[in-house]
Amino acid sequence: MNILSDHAALRVQDLSVWHGQSALVRGIDFSIARGGVMTLLGESGSGKSLLAQAIMGNLPASLRCSGQIEIDGERSDAADAALRQRGWGRRIALLPQEPWLALDPTMKVARQVAETYELVSHPAADTQDESLRAARKDAHTLAVQALASLGLSDAADKYPFMISGGMAQRVAFLATHAAGAPLLIIDEPTKGLDADRRGEVLALLQRAQQQGMSLLCITHDVWLARALGGELAVMLEGRMVERGQADVLLAQPRHAYTRRLLAADPACWAQPRAQAVASPPSPVVVEVSDVAKSFGQQRLFSGISTRLHAGEIVAVSGPSGAGKTTFGNIVLGLLAPDAGQVKRGAGLPRTAFQKIYQDPAAAFAPAVTLRQSLRDLVRLHGLDWQQLESLLARMRVSLALLERLPRQVSGGELQRIALARVLLMRPALIFADEPTSRLDPLTQQEVMALLVEHARQAGSAVLLVTHDADIVRCVADRRLLLGPAHEPA
Amino acid sequence: MSLSSDYLLEPEARRWTCAQIAGGLLLVLIVLFAWLGPLLIDADPARQQLARFLEAPSLAHPLGHDQLGRDMLARLLHGTRLSLSLAVVSVLSAAIPGVLIGLLAAWCGGWIERVLAAFADAVLALPGLLLVLLLAAFAPGGFWPLYVGISLALWVEYFRVVRAASRILLASPQVEASRLLGFGPGYIVRRHLLPALLPRLFTLMRFGLAGAVLAMSALGFVGVGLQPPTPELGVMMIELLPYYREAPWLLGAPVGVLFLTLLGLLLLSPQKGRS
Repeated sequence: MNILSDHAALRVQDLSVWHGQSALVRGIDFSIARGGVMTLLGESGSGKSLLAQAIMGNLPASLRCSGQIEIDGERSDAADAALRQRGWGRRIALLPQEPWLALDPTMKVARQVAETYELVSHPAADTQDESLRAARKDAHTLAVQALASLGLSDAADKYPFMISGGMAQRVAFLATHAAGAPLLIIDEPTKGLDADRRGEVLALLQRAQQQGMSLLCITHDVWLARALGGELAVMLEGRMVERGQADVLLAQPRHAYTRRLLAADPACWAQPRAQAVASPPSPVVVEVSDVAKSFGQQRLFSGISTRLHAGEIVAVSGPSGAGKTTFGNIVLGLLAPDAGQVKRGAGLPRTAFQKIYQDPAAAFAPAVTLRQSLRDLVRLHGLDWQQLESLLARMRVSLALLERLPRQVSGGELQRIALARVLLMRPALIFADEPTSRLDPLTQQEVMALLVEHARQAGSAVLLVTHDADIVRCVADRRLLLGPAHEPA
Repeated sequence: MSLSSDYLLEPEARRWTCAQIAGGLLLVLIVLFAWLGPLLIDADPARQQLARFLEAPSLAHPLGHDQLGRDMLARLLHGTRLSLSLAVVSVLSAAIPGVLIGLLAAWCGGWIERVLAAFADAVLALPGLLLVLLLAAFAPGGFWPLYVGISLALWVEYFRVVRAASRILLASPQVEASRLLGFGPGYIVRRHLLPALLPRLFTLMRFGLAGAVLAMSALGFVGVGLQPPTPELGVMMIELLPYYREAPWLLGAPVGVLFLTLLGLLLLSPQKGRS
């Protein structure tokens, strides 16, 4: 038995992923001890998700991998995915990113968790009806117990769309974990979550670790890497550029890229220079007086009054579900308030009120090339194409990208194109709805800096919704707090 | 996108796939066959030569003769031309108003949408053939009631599909962004809605085409539609069904033409989820 306990939970040797002749991930070596934690830190496109897929044995058909992978003492050729696929759920499990999208919307929560118990963990002894019924009943009991252990008893009879994102994440965790795989790979668990929910995710992972699971966590979230501790590896362009104990590495990064990555964390951004807040002559772009909005029985906010001046950056904050996006849409005129008034500045056309979306790919016509989309816009308003090109150049967007469809461009590039598109309209107000929450830290910093710089230059007011308190602190001139209990100050 | 790496981001070459080329060729051949064939072969499709009853194919008459000794190839050519043009016209005249009314309903919402939806449901409550029979009762044996009836029965499908899909799209960020940028309804329909709707419409039209040909034959069978001396694919199928043992090629010819037409359409239609 002594020999068995020597096995690492996961050992990867010389793992490479190939697309044709080019290596997307190359020469990766690492191991995770039983009960250990390893975090892979890197921006999107650095190959960290590919590495996880290769370990799972779930690469797209156009890719192949080479090297050796050892899971719980069982060694296999990396190319032999079938062997590892047989261990899915039992030996190795993957918690996908944005797990609420991975749950079946037509199935109740308890049933989804029970399914893993019934089919993977405690399958029926034979195919007799009685045996199948017993297995199903046991599975249901186990699922309900598991849900209760994570404080999800109330959610058992609900459908996934009726529970919050944090709860959905715990449900997905239970469903992946139900068959007791000792090794769990977690893909971007905190992507797009606000601070409270990030804390929940961390607690979940720490709990799993205390129960003896080994974790391989893939993230671009420096905060999570620091909080999880254990071993940390930094990925860049398919290579591991730096590796070590998380606390040591984060305190004293050696590689230049790691230093840049750490500096891009909003917690480390420079404080803004003192702004002359809305000096009197700058005109009012929009005046909101005493607006309220409810959806059905749920009152989102009421009695909100504010003035937005040209060139001012105002952060809208409040807990999730407080109606931040709804408020922005009311200011833009996309929604009518239940009470109160929104007065837009005199002489400003409708097109002077623009919006930047959280997911830039959702804001472009998917079947039309970017060049066509932008050319349509230039033609509609009789604008100058040259001006657009110079804007794109300032955003450091290569013009060659315009030949592509929106989904063929990375999120950071597309968000910059979206910003250029909006700036072309000479906006008086830009409503930026979580514009960087889906981007990785370096891109986030760059896009946010461009947004601030160009909005200031163009004299546009910016209404910024973000869940990241650090960004609010560094970027915003003032804050607007939303919430059901809000009273006008 | 867990795999947002460069290899997935290469611009997609806009090329025709092999299947689409094959489908296009097939359709071109069928159209040429139906269009030019009757001009090249000057046999009269209605001329009966009872002595040549069910005659086997020969060089002079590649498909032989039917149960009344009529030249089968000539009948097939004329039948294909008549059936396909009738089917295309009725499908188009169902699809165009269906799509337009569907877009109108999704765009306006409110009571306009409810009234249009209720009307569509009412039409759907009547079986399609009954509707055609009703119309045909006013003008028996004519061409027009057939065509109007089939369109009237088919438009509801287009309406429902377009309305359901458009409602989702119209509420999406992509349309919201375009509206904020100042684009009008025409642009949103052209750039956002139609590209998303066309694959579904193609599928519907494909089934509609087959349905129209079969509906015409069914109507012919109950004596309302086109009547037997007229060479029409559906009517021919029904006429020749009793002789499938003695002369299977006769029944095979109209069935084959219909099959190849649908196959061509199937191959030609845009493939979804190819990325």
